[in-house]
Amino acid sequence: MTDFKTLDVRPILRSGGEPFQAIMSAVEDLKPGQGLKLLAPFRPQPLFSVMDRRGFGYELEELSGGEFEVRFVPKQDVTPVDVSPDAASPDLWPDPSVDLDLTDLDPPEPMVELLAQAERMEPGEVIFAVLSREPVFLYPELTERGHQWVGNFDATGTTYRIMIRVGPKAPSP
Amino acid sequence: MPGASISRWTLSYFAASLVFLILGQVLLAAGFGYPVLPVEAPETLVIVHLIAVGWLGFLFCGALLQFVPVLAATPLRWPGLAAPALILLIAGLLLLCCGFLRLAGYVDHGPVLLPAGATLLAAGFGLIAAMIGGTLLRAETMSLSARFVGLGLLSLVATALLGFAFALELSGLVDIEQLHTLLPGGISLHAFFGLVGWMSVSAFGVSYRLLTMFLLSPELERRTTRMVLALVASSIAAAGVIALALSFGRDAAASIYLPILLAAGAGLVFGYDVATIYRARKRKTLELNSMTSAMAVGALMLAILLSLLLLLTGQLEDRIGALLYLITFGWLSLLELGQLYKIVAFMTWLECYGPVLGRRPVPKVQELVCESRGSAWFYLYVVAVAAAVVALLLGATSAFQVAALAQTIAAIGLSIELVRTRHLFYVHAGQDEPEAKRPPPLFLPGSLERSSHR
Repeated sequence: MTDFKTLDVRPILRSGGEPFQAIMSAVEDLKPGQGLKLLAPFRPQPLFSVMDRRGFGYELEELSGGEFEVRFVPKQDVTPVDVSPDAASPDLWPDPSVDLDLTDLDPPEPMVELLAQAERMEPGEVIFAVLSREPVFLYPELTERGHQWVGNFDATGTTYRIMIRVGPKAPSP
Repeated sequence: MPGASISRWTLSYFAASLVFLILGQVLLAAGFGYPVLPVEAPETLVIVHLIAVGWLGFLFCGALLQFVPVLAATPLRWPGLAAPALILLIAGLLLLCCGFLRLAGYVDHGPVLLPAGATLLAAGFGLIAAMIGGTLLRAETMSLSARFVGLGLLSLVATALLGFAFALELSGLVDIEQLHTLLPGGISLHAFFGLVGWMSVSAFGVSYRLLTMFLLSPELERRTTRMVLALVASSIAAAGVIALALSFGRDAAASIYLPILLAAGAGLVFGYDVATIYRARKRKTLELNSMTSAMAVGALMLAILLSLLLLLTGQLEDRIGALLYLITFGWLSLLELGQLYKIVAFMTWLECYGPVLGRRPVPKVQELVCESRGSAWFYLYVVAVAAAVVALLLGATSAFQVAALAQTIAAIGLSIELVRTRHLFYVHAGQDEPEAKRPPPLFLPGSLERSSHR
């Protein structure tokens, strides 16, 4: 089941605004595997090819009054999701309590930052972070410390999104 | 599970390669082979193989064992083969060099030395190819960088096979018609597959990934990068066809210019890509390894221009020594020395501080090195290589030996810096945290069990 984030652009259009920017920033904030549910007063035809390039297919549903609900669904094969071996059903994880943008940090600083953040949190809490690289050296360290993780590149292939679920407290070394 | 960790034997490969670099450079400075003796003298072959196989070859093997799992985001295939491969490679190289010394008349006996050495080397490189190739094949997707490394592996196999064939022929132990016809024209192919097909092409692939990572530059699959890949692939394929033609007795030696020109074109487009990556970087101040990489790519561009110039003026054969020296020491060695400086610091940092990251303050990776000292040695090295190439072009043998001596001193200085990084020499530990300065083993693998660190 795809989890959807909802964006209603009808108020923006009613007030004469341009919703494109809002839609794109909503897309960038999507978590791995998450879809976007868009409510619009018309059929947003130009958006379909834009979203297709970003790795989303769509389902269209006409609402009453000529309005439309569009569900943009991530195409799974475009960006395979990396999952830690013990990450059972990430769909059921709680919403992230921390959002981190680590795209501008020099490697390996993002790794230090994420591990330090995980130490500060309670077991079961979830971190969401965006990085500019796939953190391959972080995975074994997370697994070693009992944290679970799931991550993938966004459809443009330039940003890596990761969710980490903090594991049970280990005795400090 | 995706992810990569420290490759246990990589630092042993690095240590062995530095020993062979210094050994080869001492011999160059001492006037053991070229340019005091002819390029094709057995003494020169000793130095060429110490540098090409011992220094660059072992270094590339060690670096790929660490790097390919990162590239493929999957653990190394058959990691247990790394140690036997290194033993085979070192033993093979030493026997091979003894075989060349026999050709030079230093040793009377042992026609079997050359083929025995070549057999062990081929076996060692075969194990490496299996590990790297197996890891690449296990990856879910083949990135462009991985494709370069894959093409490089094919060339490594071709280099080893040709070398093995020459060793049989030169030993005089066998009398095979194909080998007689292969040897005269095949030497340049052997060098081409080794220096260009394997090492330069792997260096292209690794550079695309590492440069974007160290410079915080967008990692895009550019059309020009695909062009580089297509050019090197056709260059390697052309060289393969020529090798087959030679062994069937066709006179194809002159057509070696085709793969060289294709590779030169690939090198120029690669230079353009590197310039693009540097221009698009987010990190404004360049670290030492990014400076040396830029200089190495500059040396590659100079080498391509020099080769075209020599080709057009008909002097390629007379000046081939200077050109190969520039490619070996200016492009490949400088690039690898710079990355070695960075990779050793990162691996040491991860090994020492990985288990406690986030739990207590740890030094930054940059605090494991002293860039001002490192850069002094690198600048000495660059000036020495430039002087050596000019001396070779002018035929000034004594000046070349002085330059080679300076280069040796720079290599020793850099090796000492690497040892200091491993010893955490530059890390200032707090009084209350003595364990912050417990260095890992110098070049042998640490304990397998992470729990023993805790």
